[in-house]
Order: sequence, then structure tokens, then C-alpha cells
Amino acid sequence: MAKRNVDIAVMGGGAAGLAAATKAKEKGIENIVILERNEQLGGILPQCIHTGFGLRYFKENLTGPEYISRFVKKTQDLQIEYKLDTMVLEITPEKDITAVNSIDGLLILQAKAIILAMGCRERTRGMLGIAGTRPAGILTAGTAQRLMDVEGYMPGAKVVILGSGDIGLIMARRFAMEGAKVEAVVEILPYPSGLDRNVVQCLEDFNIPLLLQHTVTSIHGSDRIEAVTVAKADANGKPVQDTERIIKCDTLILSVGLIPENELSQTANIALDSATGGPIVNEYMETSVQGIFACGNVAHVYDLVDHVTQAGELAGINAARYVLNQLPPLPKKITLKAGNNVRYIVPQIIGGKEPLTLYLRVKKPMRNVKVTIGNLIIPQRVVKPPEMVVISLTRQTLEKLEKRDELKVNIEEKAEL
Amino acid sequence: MKKREVRVITCIICPMGCKAKVTIKNGKISKIGDIECPRGEEYVIRELETPMRDFFTTVRIKGASTPVLPVRSTQPIPKDKIMDCALELANIAVDAPVKVGEVIVKNLLGLGVDIIATRDMDRWKQVEH
Repeated sequence: MAKRNVDIAVMGGGAAGLAAATKAKEKGIENIVILERNEQLGGILPQCIHTGFGLRYFKENLTGPEYISRFVKKTQDLQIEYKLDTMVLEITPEKDITAVNSIDGLLILQAKAIILAMGCRERTRGMLGIAGTRPAGILTAGTAQRLMDVEGYMPGAKVVILGSGDIGLIMARRFAMEGAKVEAVVEILPYPSGLDRNVVQCLEDFNIPLLLQHTVTSIHGSDRIEAVTVAKADANGKPVQDTERIIKCDTLILSVGLIPENELSQTANIALDSATGGPIVNEYMETSVQGIFACGNVAHVYDLVDHVTQAGELAGINAARYVLNQLPPLPKKITLKAGNNVRYIVPQIIGGKEPLTLYLRVKKPMRNVKVTIGNLIIPQRVVKPPEMVVISLTRQTLEKLEKRDELKVNIEEKAEL
Repeated sequence: MKKREVRVITCIICPMGCKAKVTIKNGKISKIGDIECPRGEEYVIRELETPMRDFFTTVRIKGASTPVLPVRSTQPIPKDKIMDCALELANIAVDAPVKVGEVIVKNLLGLGVDIIATRDMDRWKQVEH
């Protein structure tokens, strides 16, 4: 089978992939192909019919379909090739790509650069270990969203939602608006996992109870789910005895976290970060394999698509520079290590010279903090796990940074005066 | 008799998420506490007077590849009208093709806002097997 040569191959045509492909094309790369598993471009956004997208990138309040349609149009206007219904089976460190679809059959590409933009997937019941039967009516929030807002089905009438991630909160509102009764949103932690604005607009507006420090301990029902047992959870997340109660329902929605989808990264022997679940990247968004870049939710799970787009554009620009032999090596290789109250930091490797944006996820909420990166101190008013901490460093600030091989990033509360 | 009520409103302007404590006397705001900035105060006052929300849902569509079309309101609507608007749109069906931005309902329930499509939906060409 003949190999086809391309300059840049983009794995996935969602927000990150389209941003990367369009930027690379604008940088002068002609031979780009996007490989997309779905039957349409856009990734998850066509099913996110709520508003709140684009406030930063476009300074407009758009819905998901509106936001992504601008990038789909740009992709088409720039005449970038894309293949839909196409499943990538393997990529190698030498940047050979094996894919299949019903038109080309087996497809083998040799790329000069690859951009990973496969996104993430939802955690499922099997990953939680909830006791009980295995009836119908247990869905992830994203599946319920697709059923309701793309395919036009109503998944249930009496709903319990486990986990208070943003998609779960948003689906609580959609269920309520479509006439279902949402009995409760059950969250094991002492604070919601989703953004404040979603707690207010999705739960409080519709009088949906949020049970913090509670969890589902059992599922009941034979053919269809009939009820769940809910119990209080202690500080370690363990159910507290004698606090169980039964909530009747015909649907259980799971909104319990997202995991970057990196099976392909593994076939290419790319080093992954166990904290993000995604590839370790440097400030170019380049992975441990030269010429393979990663962006969007495949690298780490974002809360705003606007930031995904920016990361995609950065990866696209740098992949183009790589193909054009214009990507200089980093002036220094400084590895950032997560310290106190930092779950992870991306990019993990910086050069310490050119301006860049750091994304941090914290472990627990804190107020009036200082973020320290080596000798740099950046004050922040508040940090919370659901909201990514975004820190932009200018060239001027970076001049002051001590250039060690490894720097710790800590977040600490400032001492009271 | 004077009526006094204290309400807690979570400000959603910034990530701080201040929980403002608002004292209401005889239906009027008498004190706003536990909030740190003027933008937040403004939000809390508007939220107490006429809370407004973005509105979006789906309507039925015939002749497209999927049976629902996502739509939104051109401007926010009063919070207490969300369910009325959702019910009204549950009765609407349109025909494909539809273009993003196309007006689906003009002046919904007299609220002065239009309902527009938020994506293109082509006419579905069935593939023969």
C-alpha cells in the first residue's frame, strides 16, 4: 500500500484541531489533513447548545454550535482537507499514521509533523465501582446531552445526577427545562466541581438540590433503574453508616470527570504526565517526540473552549515552524514541578525567555494566595479546583526568573497582616 | 409591621463567587454585605430586581439529518419566563434547510426577543444502500 506524504496531520477535528489546522495553514503550510472519527467536524461543541462560549476569544457570548461553526467555516474557506468517519489506529514515533474509513479503506500517511487533538472522554460507571444492579438508564452527562440536544430523545423523567461537573450541572438545567424532575445533584466533595455560574444558573434557578459530601452507594432496578441509595460521605469520601436514604429515579446521570484520550499518544511512545493524563509538553506544545504536538483536552482538561482554541493555535503555529525548519530549540529546558496545592501545571517544560501562558489546576480552594514559580511571586485573589488558574508571563518577568533545570510551583495563602 | 428578610445571592461576575448577604426591608434593599466590589453590588441589585438569563433550547426540525435544531434568544429573558418560553418552543417545528442566525420565532411571547437558529441544518439527502 502506497504511503501518502503530508506536511501536517491533525488527529481530531474539534475545537483544538481546527484551531491548529487553520493557524498552520495561515502560516503557509499547504499540505495539511485533519482526520476525524465523527461524521461531522466540531468535536463536542455541536451538542453544547448553551451560551457562554467565546467571551474571551471573540468577546461575544455564543452557543457551542455557533462558536465552532466559525472554525468549521474557516477550515473550509482555507480549503484544508479533512476526512470524516475516519478512525486512526496507530501513529508511530517516525510519524507514520495508520487509519481506516469506508472510502479510502486502509490509509497510511507519512507526516512531517503531527498535531494530537483527540480531546477527552467521560469517566463511566465502571470506573466508579458503585454497587448494585446493572439496569438501563445510567448515562454519562455527555451521552444524555447528545441524546437530548442532537438526536431529540428524552432520556428520562425522574433524574439523579452524580457528580457536579459542568456538563452535569448543564444537563440538570436541560432536564428541568424539558419537563423532567431532577431529584438531586450528588457531590462527594465539600464544594461543587463545576463553575459557580453553573451552580447558580443551572441548579438554584430551578430549585434543584445540591447534596455536597454525599455519594451514591447503590443502584436499584432490574430492567430499568428504579432508585439509588444516597449516603453522606466523610472527609475521605467514604460513606457514613446509617445516613443512607433511597431516592426514586428512572435515570442516573454521571458527571464524574473527564480523561484525556491518549491511546494514540501511547502508540507513538509519547511520555505522559500522570497528573494531567496527557502528554508532557513544552511551551511550543511539543511532546517528548520531536515534531509531534498536542493541544486541547488531550493535553489536559480545560474549562473554557476559548483557552482550547488558543492552545490549538499555538500548536498549529509551532508545528508549521517545525515543518519550515523555523522552530528554534528552547534556550533552556526548565521543568516545572507541581508543589503545594498544585495538581498540575501545563506546559511542563519552558524555555524561560519567550512570553508564554501557564495553566494550573489547584487541589483545593484558597483565598488571597501567592503563586510562586521558583523566585517569581504572582498574587491571586482566589483559586478553586474547577477554575483553571491562568498566568501569563511576559519577557520582562521571565528575565527575572532564575533559570534552573527544575523549578517548583507552589500556591500558598499569604500571611495575614 | 416591618417586614425584614435576609437573602444570600452568589455573585457570578468573577471567580471569587462572593455570597452577598442582602437585607430587604419592606421590599426594598436596605443593606448589601459580604461582597467586595462595585461590579458585584451591581449584579446583586439587578439579580434582586429583574434577574435575566440567556435562553436556549431546541425545536423540532423536519427533513434534516437529526430531528432537533438548537436555538437561542437574541437577548437575555426574565428568569421567571424561562419555563413559559421552553413550553412555547416545544410546539414549534421548522423545515430544513435552516441557516445559523435565521429567525425561528419573532418576538417570543411579546418579550421583545427573537429566537434564532444556532447552526446550519442542511436538507438531508438519503443515501441509498
